[in-house]
Amino acid sequence: MKVKVISRSTEDFTRERSKDLQKVFRNYDPNLHTQEKAVEYTRALNAAKLEKIFAKPFIGAMDGHIDAVSCMAKNPNYLKAIFSGSMDGDIRLWDLATRKTVCQFPGHQGAVKGLTSSTNGELLVSCGTDCTVRLWKVPSLNFDSTVDTSKPSAIYTWKHAFRGVDHQWNSSIFATAGAQVDIWDHNRSEPINTFQWGNDSVISIRFNPGEPNLLATSSSDRGVVLYDLRTSSPFKKIIMQTKTNSICWNPMEPINFTAANEDCNCYTFDARKLDEAKVVHKDHVSAVMDVDYSPTGREFVTGSYDRTVRIFNYNGDHSREIYHTKRMQRVFCVRYSCDASYVISGSDDTNLRLWKSKASEQLGVLLPRERKKHEYHDALKARFKHLPEIRRIVKHRHLPKPVYKAAILRRTVTEAENRKEQRRQAHSAPGSSSRKPFRKRKIIKEES
Amino acid sequence: MADSTEKNRKKQKRTKAKAVESTFLSKTRKPEKKGKRKGRDNDQRKRRGGGPRLPNVLRQELGLDAKRNSSSDSDSEGGEDVRDFYELDEEVAQEESGKNRRFDEVENYQYELPDDFEDEEVPSDEGEDDSDKSEGEDQRDKEDGERHLRMLQDITGIPKEAFDGEKKKREEVLLSQADVRSEIVTIHDLLAPLQGMPGYSSLRKRVLQQEKQPMTLQAPLPKSERDKVQRKVSDKFARKEITKWEGVVKRNREAPTLFFEQDQNLGYSTVGAIASGFEPRTEFEKQMAQLRQDPELVEAYKNDGAKMLELNKVSVKDVIDRQNRLAKMRSLLFRHEMKAKRIKKIKSKTYHKIKKKERQKAASAELEMNPEAAKQQAIKQEQKRAEERLTLKHKNSSKWAKRILKRGLDVQDDATRAAIAEQLQKHEELKRKMNSMNNNESSTDEESSDDDDEEEDESKRALKALNKAKEKTAKVLEEGDEAPKKGLFALPFMERGLKKRQEEAYEEARQALEDYDATLNQLQDEGEEGEEETQQNSSAVKMTGKRTFGPAKKPVAQEYNKRKRLDDFGKDSDSEEEDGEFDEPVPQIIEDKNDKTEGVQLGTALLDEEQVMAQHAIFRNLDDMEKAVGPKTSYEVAIFAGDSFRKVRSDSGHSNKATTSSVIHTSKPSHETKETDQSYETDSDTEMVEGFLTTNLITDQKPDYELPSQAELVRRVFAGDDVAAEFERDKLETLNEENPEPEKPALVPGWGQWTHVQKKKGLPDWMVREHEEKKRKRGEALKKRKDAKFDHVIISETINRKAEKLMATSLPFPFTSKEAYEGNMRMPIGPDFNPASALSALNRPEIIKKPGLIIQPIEYEEVDPDETHDQPKRIIQGAKPKQSSKEKSKKGKLSNKLVPKTLGKKVKST
Repeated sequence: MKVKVISRSTEDFTRERSKDLQKVFRNYDPNLHTQEKAVEYTRALNAAKLEKIFAKPFIGAMDGHIDAVSCMAKNPNYLKAIFSGSMDGDIRLWDLATRKTVCQFPGHQGAVKGLTSSTNGELLVSCGTDCTVRLWKVPSLNFDSTVDTSKPSAIYTWKHAFRGVDHQWNSSIFATAGAQVDIWDHNRSEPINTFQWGNDSVISIRFNPGEPNLLATSSSDRGVVLYDLRTSSPFKKIIMQTKTNSICWNPMEPINFTAANEDCNCYTFDARKLDEAKVVHKDHVSAVMDVDYSPTGREFVTGSYDRTVRIFNYNGDHSREIYHTKRMQRVFCVRYSCDASYVISGSDDTNLRLWKSKASEQLGVLLPRERKKHEYHDALKARFKHLPEIRRIVKHRHLPKPVYKAAILRRTVTEAENRKEQRRQAHSAPGSSSRKPFRKRKIIKEES
Repeated sequence: MADSTEKNRKKQKRTKAKAVESTFLSKTRKPEKKGKRKGRDNDQRKRRGGGPRLPNVLRQELGLDAKRNSSSDSDSEGGEDVRDFYELDEEVAQEESGKNRRFDEVENYQYELPDDFEDEEVPSDEGEDDSDKSEGEDQRDKEDGERHLRMLQDITGIPKEAFDGEKKKREEVLLSQADVRSEIVTIHDLLAPLQGMPGYSSLRKRVLQQEKQPMTLQAPLPKSERDKVQRKVSDKFARKEITKWEGVVKRNREAPTLFFEQDQNLGYSTVGAIASGFEPRTEFEKQMAQLRQDPELVEAYKNDGAKMLELNKVSVKDVIDRQNRLAKMRSLLFRHEMKAKRIKKIKSKTYHKIKKKERQKAASAELEMNPEAAKQQAIKQEQKRAEERLTLKHKNSSKWAKRILKRGLDVQDDATRAAIAEQLQKHEELKRKMNSMNNNESSTDEESSDDDDEEEDESKRALKALNKAKEKTAKVLEEGDEAPKKGLFALPFMERGLKKRQEEAYEEARQALEDYDATLNQLQDEGEEGEEETQQNSSAVKMTGKRTFGPAKKPVAQEYNKRKRLDDFGKDSDSEEEDGEFDEPVPQIIEDKNDKTEGVQLGTALLDEEQVMAQHAIFRNLDDMEKAVGPKTSYEVAIFAGDSFRKVRSDSGHSNKATTSSVIHTSKPSHETKETDQSYETDSDTEMVEGFLTTNLITDQKPDYELPSQAELVRRVFAGDDVAAEFERDKLETLNEENPEPEKPALVPGWGQWTHVQKKKGLPDWMVREHEEKKRKRGEALKKRKDAKFDHVIISETINRKAEKLMATSLPFPFTSKEAYEGNMRMPIGPDFNPASALSALNRPEIIKKPGLIIQPIEYEEVDPDETHDQPKRIIQGAKPKQSSKEKSKKGKLSNKLVPKTLGKKVKST
């Protein structure tokens, strides 16, 4: 009889260090693993539960302003820095890592309504109700900087109060919103261009970071207007049922932008086709005050007057996450951090709050095995997310009582409306009345 | 002064704003308009004080009329009206004009800069300076223009308004001068040289036609309309610009994973690199640095420092040599160690056997060389042997072996049997020396005889086997005792015991011989009459499926023998082994016969009575033979040594034991208990042979064999089992399980029995009714079943509650078909079910980013719509080298100016 000697190379079986793991040999024959689906399902269930257990999104609050935080701006070139402006004219630069004020930029007489930073992060532009636009040199967070922040590098006074400002990507142009839209250059004391479509004041303004010559504004006549700086003219306008408080372009999809509306919803539009919203993001129970996209373009964060911050998927009609604390009041501004892993909210209670964008994410250095484990758990959750038990666990959120009740009320109202509409349809002659889909219902007209 | 500059600035701005609109103006109108503005500035104050202004529409009408009437150099009044179209936004507001006194008197409604504001800011603002400077230049230009106009006026005698505003366009000025001075050059003059050229006539005709019709210009559109047009154009342009992103966006959306990664430059990697960039900052550090870089110290170190080390005295070559030597030693040691480790770990028995043999060989070689050692060894060996013989330690005498034998070997498992056999083997080995003294001579002729009887028939072979057994027994008898004259056996008590045993054996052998004779006679008698029957039988058996055992038997037996011989090759050829070998063919045959009969029994349905009878007859013969022999006969061992254990099992355990004791005498005094383990071996061997047989069968088809039809074959294959009935039973079972039959109503013992009322009345009505109802419902349910109409199908309608939670109620979103979904879910993704190489791809998240890495917005790149999606990585953010501070500052400077995006990118990448 011939004896087969198992031959193994010693290299495979010797550890380099005593703390290395022994190689495990497995037989992957599917016939040996008949219960794999049940096994993975149970793992997914456990992963979902673990996610709940570890969901601790709140990192810390940044206290310092003495009035409500009205606007924020992130430094596109420096991760740790965030600027915030308050209703009393105070502008602060925060270090997110230490959650402390680095410096203040005093000077505004009224509320600061708009803040933005140039792409290289060296210049801060602020504007407010005192009809001034102020440019500030930004000190770097290293301590050897000698920038004097007590005085702005330039003050441009203009005819009307300002409501918002945004900086063009990779250029020296910024745009302000007020009675009209003004396009400014860093070095000019007067706007280099001015647009007006309709007579109502412009509330918010945002440049498209991917396609920097496009500009979107929302105005108090409930309109959303798009501009092109190359032809230096507006080119599209829609009037919605309620006014849009804020607008943000998707940084990875320059086609799309999302408008945070007063009617508790956010609407994502295709800039070429404004007669219908691509997605309606519902969940807030009060006006949405601000919206900001994650730099990955896959989700965005909204802050609402209902004292909550929510995170939506770019194509999800309901929020993925809701953040709230007992002390957080009306949220006026939100920003997604430049590495897509944090969210900052500024609210009426004079605080800035720092949140994790994934509530149960483990911060700090992850070893490869740990990372793989997390990836596996995430993949499992994604795979079984439609199964009832897992869906229930993953979706469940504790809500503040007012929000919970308001949501129920809103649901009741919409259901009643739907019922009524259905009955109306049922009792009218076929074809005589057609109901618009919800995506189109809130858009009153499209102008050109 | 301030007022006038303010006005001037306003004017400039206005002209700038109009630059866009100017595309809609005809060239000929341009100068006219400019001239008018000048005029308007002059009489602005007067106009403000004037009467109520007409509404826009009316004015428009008037303006149109006026324009139609007026020629190109009409008076300033007409021009005034026309201008209003262009200056729509410049109209004086109603409240400003104080119309009807409806408004409060307020100086200014709009926020305006205070007058002194400019003066304050001017020195700090570059832009203002620029504008001032340009204003000065404008002033100078204006003066120049004035002089020029005056000159023109002098020359031509035409009012200066006609020439105003034409300074910038040299050509037009020239043209107009030419026109005005003398109409020398007309279109006809230009046409004249073309005379005779092809197409001249048509050109001339068109010119004439144009001259006939008076030239009129379209009125410019109102501003709202113009804006609309502008927006439409702009929309088209922007739409095109946005649409170019579609491909990129689509590709990113479809990509399974987006990588927002960057090869980050982590800066200095080595301590040396970090140290080289070190600059002393504090006082202490500076002092240290000063000391370190002190030229005196450096010099001193260079001179002495090298000598300070002791090792420096050793030559480099020596060091290298020593190192090499040490390394060699170490590696050798290590190798040796590893080898020892490896060898120690080897579990292979064969390897160890070989190793052992080698060791023995070496030992024996040593023995040969060293007579003293050999002697010692021999003594040792002898002692061992004697001990074995005395104690019989390995002869199933231990408690364990006894217990096992008591329980019967056949109920033991293979390992136990093997252990017993091994023990006996050891016993044999220990006693071998004595055996080898009286080795047998019969091996060769037995082998040849084995070869001879291969051709013989089974029955004949049986006879022959019997004969042989007889012969052998006789031989043993004749041989008598050659008692050992030496060693332990030479001792008187041993001798006595031996003799006694031999006598017993002798007696038994003789008895066996007699029995042989008896059975031989019987067998011969029966064999003659049974021969025809067997032949018939064999032919009948051929028709059944298993009948083909017959023809293959002989070669198998042969093979079997051969194999046996091969196995024995390595061993010393003991007589007992020979015996076994000799004996085996016979039981083989019997076994086969039995098999055959079994096979036939399986196919009973096909066999006719006669054949069955024949079969039984021959079987009976053999049975008789067996029975006649009885358990204690030694020839049973001789013949059935190779038989399967089953047959031995038919005898009682006690008989087994009995044979054990009896056999000793038959074969040889030396191998008493051999038969038990031998039977083990043969048992397993025969089984193997059977396996062999079946495989051989197929190839050993006889040429005259007729293939039965397919139906016949199927019938034969399923002859034994009634499939249809079985299925029906199964189905009934499933039905009962899924729709259980209602329980029969029964009385609870003790209830209602006292009075015997129920006994008389029977079951209460409601019980019966309920039962009926249940039965009816069951019937309905059975009828409703999906498999109710199909007799040959069972469709189970049970729902597995435990598996239910693994099922989706509806198709989840990205999937479009059930099959796709199930296919996706079937494959597990975990590390327990997938190799590590496939794992990362299965578990990869949708977005891979690094914490702390700033993600830049997307940049445009061309996307080929037809490209395949097999590219593994979709990296959004490419590698970006870390910028040095110099580059940063450069970039900052550049970005202060208005840099087009592409240029900005280039700067970034350098």
